[in-house]
Amino acid sequence: MKKALTSALVAVCAMALAACGSSGSSGANGLSASGGSSASGGGTTIASKLVLGGSPEFKTRTDGIPGLARVYGVTFGSYKTLDAGGPLTINALKNGQIDAGDIFTTDPSIQANGFVVLQDPKNLYAAQNVLPLINKAKATPGVTSTLKSVSDKLDTNTLAQLDVHVITDKQDPAAVAEGWLASEGLNKTGTAAQGVSIKIGSANFQESVLLAEIYAKALQAQGANVTTRLNIGSRETYVPGLKDGSIDLIPEYSGALLVYFDPKTTAVSSADVYAALQKAVPAPLTVLDQSSAQDKDAIVVTKATADKYHLVSIADLANNG
Amino acid sequence: MPLHDSLLAQDSSPFGMFGYFSDHRDEVLNWLWYHTWLSAVPVVAGLLIALPLGWVARRYRWTYPPLVTTAGLLYTIPSIALFVAMPDIIGTQILDPINVAVALTVYSVALLVRVVADGLGAVPEDVAQAATAMGLTRRQRLLKVELPLAVPVIAAGVRVAVVANVSLVAVAGTIGVPNLGQLFTTGFQLSVGSPYYPPITLGIVLCVLLALALDLLVVGGTRLATPWRRAVSGS
Amino acid sequence: MIAWLNDPGNWTAPGGIFDQLWSHLQYALIALVVAAALALPVGLLIGHAGRGRWLVTVANAVRALPVVGLLILLYVMLAPHIHGRGDTVYLLPTEIVLILLAIPPILASTVAGVENVDPAVRDAAAGMGMRGGQVVRRVELPNALPLVFSGVRSATLQVIATATVAAYLGLGGLGRFVYDGQASQNFAERDAGALLVALLAVAADLVLALAQRYTVSRGVSGRFPRRTLVGDPVATADAPPSTHTA
Repeated sequence: MKKALTSALVAVCAMALAACGSSGSSGANGLSASGGSSASGGGTTIASKLVLGGSPEFKTRTDGIPGLARVYGVTFGSYKTLDAGGPLTINALKNGQIDAGDIFTTDPSIQANGFVVLQDPKNLYAAQNVLPLINKAKATPGVTSTLKSVSDKLDTNTLAQLDVHVITDKQDPAAVAEGWLASEGLNKTGTAAQGVSIKIGSANFQESVLLAEIYAKALQAQGANVTTRLNIGSRETYVPGLKDGSIDLIPEYSGALLVYFDPKTTAVSSADVYAALQKAVPAPLTVLDQSSAQDKDAIVVTKATADKYHLVSIADLANNG
Repeated sequence: MPLHDSLLAQDSSPFGMFGYFSDHRDEVLNWLWYHTWLSAVPVVAGLLIALPLGWVARRYRWTYPPLVTTAGLLYTIPSIALFVAMPDIIGTQILDPINVAVALTVYSVALLVRVVADGLGAVPEDVAQAATAMGLTRRQRLLKVELPLAVPVIAAGVRVAVVANVSLVAVAGTIGVPNLGQLFTTGFQLSVGSPYYPPITLGIVLCVLLALALDLLVVGGTRLATPWRRAVSGS
Repeated sequence: MIAWLNDPGNWTAPGGIFDQLWSHLQYALIALVVAAALALPVGLLIGHAGRGRWLVTVANAVRALPVVGLLILLYVMLAPHIHGRGDTVYLLPTEIVLILLAIPPILASTVAGVENVDPAVRDAAAGMGMRGGQVVRRVELPNALPLVFSGVRSATLQVIATATVAAYLGLGGLGRFVYDGQASQNFAERDAGALLVALLAVAADLVLALAQRYTVSRGVSGRFPRRTLVGDPVATADAPPSTHTA
């Protein structure tokens, strides 16, 4: 009955909206604003028939729309501003509001929906290793070594698996964090971080919450006095929060963090990004040892779209179709 | 990976909110607590500021249009913008809940200035004349006649402000201020592919209950502050 | 912020200020028209019949619903059912929320407006041989108009301010600048977006004030030539204060 009600509601409102002629201008804008130009002379490219969706900042970010045009000569038909690899983008891709989305590679919905991650042979997308961004004053040797042992054990597959528990199975991030630390023997009590008071934050998506819980439980086991402040919006909110001492530590991604501090960066490989990041991070902040776990930006399409246009890599989008 | 079996079965229907609540009890109660004081304190502060402003708008009639217009203008600023711009305006830390409290105080003042001014002005002419005839000074008349008679009008405004604040506080949850709004963002993030209702419905239910509770509190306080109304209506 | 507003490119570009201003107006207008189409007749009926006041209470209770929560709930509920291109999946939740916001002030003030009509006036109309429908249309509505307008005006302020959240769900409107500016650290854009919302609300209120002036009978408003009244005694006394919730 709920279903019937919902469908009825949809039908009625859709009719009402159609009647109001509100095809309306929306977040989707022609790409002329981004300065991209059609790559293949003459014919229309595959990309020009497709709608790309992603975060607000993707529209202007160096490795966003401008990067796609610069590196691959790919210009999509239009861009729909949604969210940073969140429910809006994923649902839109699944339900056909968009044809391609900027989604993060560890997202369980890629596998769950059989989405195809387009390869990035020209390395438009920089490495995104998980690492702790911390206030220098709190990075005591004990805190540093505790977080290093966490980073050492974390790899991309593990992270993706933990994401499935949190996002698909809806398990509590704190419990998932605890379970993983126990399975890796990282929950043994010690005194490495004794006497340190540390406020740990997270961004407002589930993987960040999970990573923050992992840091929190590991430091707690080593005797630190930990408080958490989870689900703080995005980088624009929590980085100032780190600078002014509202929080001391947050899980971050190397590539995205580097772009935040140095928008013109050209570093791509894990090592280059990390080296550049260590220089770019302003006082009083610093980054600790990075893990091998990566959660990268990727241009993702549905299986149907990939099959229809024979898409394997981002470069294929510039072909005539 | 060793995980408790109890965590595996999750009801993702709207009624899963009861299970969700018992699983996240401390966190949710903490958010409810923050939500309560972020909803209530700005209204109290706003009322304390609006009372003298409203009186000025009443006493010096030429100040009424600019005061009420400015208040109306403040009220049209989208809250999300005010929340994030507040640290630049008052020099606070970006994650400080005081930003939300100050922004909501601004909205409360904006709403209540006009209400106070109109409430003070709604004293019937014969009452005002009676007060003058009894030899009350201007100050006595304000405190003993006009203000008490304006209480019901002001209270109506306070009720609206409190209920609106509960909704506005939840907006601040989307930018990481701890309150019930975080239930919405969490539920949203977990609704990929298929809906995950429990945190969302729990948040809505708790917000509505909180709004009703605060509303009742204002109604009760108003009844206590206006004993003569009960005497007249005989209840 | 001034520099951002002074750049003509920011106004005329696709997705620029003109585009988003228009989208914002559209979202608000759809909601206001639907809300008025529902609340006005119902309000007139309740006021006329003196029954069904519980509907006003129910509508007022709806104000207690948190806007973001409702928006997310509706989106999450509808998303699996709406397929294919277009903004319907974002527009529907947004419009439903805006309509729910606009109904209470319009309904409450319409009912109050009709109830405030002097019984003697109503008796006179009946005495002139008017039937129920005629009394509503020719006596009660014109007399209630000042209060109806104040309800519509407060609904308009609320809807325009709240339509900012449309951008949270990936729609356009002036909220786009607020969210995009924040996300790309362009704070001038963010603050300009907020200012534009406020200005649009004020402009809409002025238009409605003008419309009120020309539609309310002078016999009701007391606005006769060479005699100006300060404020509108009826409207200010009974109008529910305007609120916005996002």
